[in-house]
Amino acid sequence: MRAYFKFEFIQFMFNKKNIAVYVILLFFACFYALKIAPAYDPIEKVDREEIEARFLTREDFLNNVVLDENTYPLTRFAAAIYPEWNEYDKQRLDALAAGDMKKYAEATFNWYVYSDNMIFRNGKDILYYNSRYYTAGNLYATEDGHYAYMYSASRFDGYAKGDSNLSINVFEERTALQTLQRLLHSYLPLILLISCILFAADIVLKDKKNPSLIKGFPISVWRSLLVKGGVALTGSILTVIPLAVGFVIIAIRNGIGDLNLPVPVFSYKTKAFTTISMGEYLFQNALLILFWFFMLISLLLLVSIIVKNEFANLVAGCVVVFAEYYYYVRGLGYVKDIHWYPSSYVQVGQIIAGYREYLNNSVALTLKNGLLVMAVCTVICLLLTFIISNHRRYKLL
Amino acid sequence: MWKLLKNDLIIERSNKKNIIAILVVALFVFGLFSYEKLENSQKLIDEKGSESQSLSAALTKFQPPDAMDDGTGNELYYNLLQQKQYVVNQSMALKIDRPQLYLDTGLKLVEVRASAFELEDYEKVATNLPTKTENHLDAILYQFMDKAGIVVSQDSLSFFPFLLSVFMMLGSFWFIFISIFSSGILIEEFRHISLIKGYPVSFDKYVLAKSTSAMLIVLIFIAEIFACSLPFIYFYGVGDANYPVAIFDGSYKVITILEYIGIALIYMIFIAIFTILLSVILNVLLKNMYLTLFVQLLLFIAPSLFPALVSLVPFNPFNYMNFTNLLNGQSLDLAKPVGLELVHGLIYIGISIILMLAAVKLFFTTGKLKKV
Amino acid sequence: MLELKNIGVNFSGRDILKEISITFQPGEIIGLVAPNGTGKSTLMNVIMNYLRPNSGKVVFNNGLEYSSKKNEVKIHQLVSMMPDQSDLYNHLSGRQHLKIYSSMWNSNPELIDSTIKALGMESYVNKKTGTYSLGMRQRLCFAMQIVSDTQIMLMDEVMNGLDPTQVEIISQMLVKKKAEGKTIIIASHLLENLEKYADRIFFVKNGSLDLIEDIYSDLGVNGNMVIRVKEGTEQLKEKLAKAFPELSIQLLASGVTLIDFPKNEADRLESISAFLSDNDKPEFSVGKMTLGDLYSKYYH
Repeated sequence: MRAYFKFEFIQFMFNKKNIAVYVILLFFACFYALKIAPAYDPIEKVDREEIEARFLTREDFLNNVVLDENTYPLTRFAAAIYPEWNEYDKQRLDALAAGDMKKYAEATFNWYVYSDNMIFRNGKDILYYNSRYYTAGNLYATEDGHYAYMYSASRFDGYAKGDSNLSINVFEERTALQTLQRLLHSYLPLILLISCILFAADIVLKDKKNPSLIKGFPISVWRSLLVKGGVALTGSILTVIPLAVGFVIIAIRNGIGDLNLPVPVFSYKTKAFTTISMGEYLFQNALLILFWFFMLISLLLLVSIIVKNEFANLVAGCVVVFAEYYYYVRGLGYVKDIHWYPSSYVQVGQIIAGYREYLNNSVALTLKNGLLVMAVCTVICLLLTFIISNHRRYKLL
Repeated sequence: MWKLLKNDLIIERSNKKNIIAILVVALFVFGLFSYEKLENSQKLIDEKGSESQSLSAALTKFQPPDAMDDGTGNELYYNLLQQKQYVVNQSMALKIDRPQLYLDTGLKLVEVRASAFELEDYEKVATNLPTKTENHLDAILYQFMDKAGIVVSQDSLSFFPFLLSVFMMLGSFWFIFISIFSSGILIEEFRHISLIKGYPVSFDKYVLAKSTSAMLIVLIFIAEIFACSLPFIYFYGVGDANYPVAIFDGSYKVITILEYIGIALIYMIFIAIFTILLSVILNVLLKNMYLTLFVQLLLFIAPSLFPALVSLVPFNPFNYMNFTNLLNGQSLDLAKPVGLELVHGLIYIGISIILMLAAVKLFFTTGKLKKV
Repeated sequence: MLELKNIGVNFSGRDILKEISITFQPGEIIGLVAPNGTGKSTLMNVIMNYLRPNSGKVVFNNGLEYSSKKNEVKIHQLVSMMPDQSDLYNHLSGRQHLKIYSSMWNSNPELIDSTIKALGMESYVNKKTGTYSLGMRQRLCFAMQIVSDTQIMLMDEVMNGLDPTQVEIISQMLVKKKAEGKTIIIASHLLENLEKYADRIFFVKNGSLDLIEDIYSDLGVNGNMVIRVKEGTEQLKEKLAKAFPELSIQLLASGVTLIDFPKNEADRLESISAFLSDNDKPEFSVGKMTLGDLYSKYYH
């Protein structure tokens, strides 16, 4: 079996398609690190001018406002809420001036908590989150702002309480590890899953080209399928290597960050954030992605032996990965049990961070359920594969 | 040629790939239908709501002195205030079902908006507002509807409006779908090379027959899209085939849904021929199905990765592969705006097709082909 | 008519075919025999123009040459090469394959059914070829070429994977085609079978085609007798060589020792048999020199 693994693995590595996948990943990693990452412009950034402008305007208002029985209710409201708000802004400015990152983090935490409380609970149609959430066509700008403010609050709380080295780059999530975290929250899982599909698509069917060579190997169909799955899995995991190049480039430019940095995680049940460490976040992501690999590979093995067509493999893989686009509507999780569909877990980073729970109003889109669904699907696929491949009359080639 | 085509069809008829592709197309249509259905029917009202919110957020960027009434205030600020008022009115008009009012305020809104683009500091609020192109498209749509006496419709599930959304969606995916479908067009044949090598026909004729049979299957896909949409007539009616759609085809204009579908079909056929021939050439050069696919997809996304390419090489046929964006005038909103024209796209794709055919005829011979 | 004029092919400096000039006539079956890798397939590829020779040209009927793509098409209407059985479309039936070939070469469609019948393929011809055995596939490939009905047919290892009955059926078919005036060029290792129907048999060696009649006379073995000794050994060979230095003695891998001598020296037989009995090898046979014997002698 080991010899067969080696045999398959060598073929895998010399497969033009697989080499091309690695090269393209390398290209994207470099393209991202050199072109996209430097242009990253976070909404929640450390912007002294913005804070100062807001602070001065409000200070000016508070100094000049006259409150009597004729005062307009909104003015009264503003006069009531601005003092505390401004206090936090002042602390932030002072901390920045003094270069005290810890203090800045603490003040910023308070600022976000207070802002969110004001805007979300008390300021409907009066107060707004950062205007960049309200892009043209965004139907859920307020929800996005709410999430982002809670998220930022939790993050800065973590910075203030933790003992990581703090810097502007850390605050703006620009360090290599944080960039990775942001990517896991967006396209990276999709890219990894598609690579996995591409790796597994022909792993069985390539033998069609030289059947007599393979047919006679002293290894059962089931075992050879397992080995092939193992090779595809190894290959999928190796995608880390070309991607690491991009990681290193970003690390050199913006620092690597550290594994104790806090990552806020939302829980729909408590409607609140808690933080876990970066290391744990990455581990959980890796775990779920690994289970995704198991699932996709076993699915593709099954399709391979039933349909015996590469195009069908690509279609099956893509349907699972992209199905969510079809049924995803914000808040659907509240009415439908979408946590039983494997495709609901495609956005791995968002699952771990609880963002999917937030978007879907569902308590069930958790890592645990994700692993469970993936494991069940994997077992079903493998079981079917086992039964079919061991059937007396079944011929693989 | 005819006998070749006939033989190809015998081969393709029982090819699993085609059967799967036909299933995929059906899945796409029905999936899109369920998606459209999930997207609630109040889409327009929600959009207006979010528009007003975006405007409010944009207004928060201004300081109290901007709001002075004595003439020293900020012009953009007042413009946005006015926009917001119109948007709220439009929203109201929808809720109380007065489509003419919606249209009238819409006309005023686009006018105010058009003047906002020229005002100072506009870039500060640009992300909160529709782009100039979007506004222009809205403007001519409202004007047209006003003149023609058509009222705004919120129905998106009856036959023609649904077909419109199918083809708009297809605009972005068509190239990708066809390139996946055709990426192995000759590679599969290379597996039977000793059978076909000695055919008493030239290779270019052979390729032509192969491409034609692939094209016929593509036509089946297109027919299938219509066929799969037919059941919706039963549930939701036919809808208005002449409902207007605003497009940019070099200049801004309003066309009917039927015309839009017509344009989409022409583009889809051109793109399909282009992609199939490209697959043929890449198959011969690269001798690998996946490499063919990767090269095609990279060429497809190159204009999005490097937007400067679009203005630099306007005759690149890949600028035109996403015809939905083309008709939306998206190239006008690039850092370096280019007005990609609909007809030019067809000409460039057409020229590319001719060039590729010439290349096949001049450079390809059967004898050198090897088994892959 | 097919004429090769000074065909020369070399791969990286090694001559595969050297200055080959030869003409094949209609109604003729040509056998090509050689160990693997000596240029049989190369020659066929040159005739099909799959491989451009370094020198020389191939001329068909009325001076038709591979001078343009148009001509290539015309020539391919005249000449066909048997497809490789691994290249069949597994999802199509045998009959569909035959139909494709028939329509490609515009041949008489009745040939399809008559060929199926003649080759005894009725029972499986409507099934997908993916289910065929090697022999069935091989027969289908042969049938496809017969159905294409070209003037010249090239067959590389046509008898591969066939049982003796099938070999016999195909041999009869070949003879029939020859009577119809086809030129058939066959590369085969079934020497005795080849001998039955081939008009001319060539051995390919060092890049040239040698007619076996010439080889017989060149080697001076025309009409020679051969003694085959079972269980021969290297020592026996040496002993024999010492005792009869004028004889050609060969030890085959099977352990059979071949001794050949001219027919008119029948008296030698006695002394050799006496010698063999003395050396505890009483079991041997005497016969005419076969093509197989010639082959082993020529390529040893």
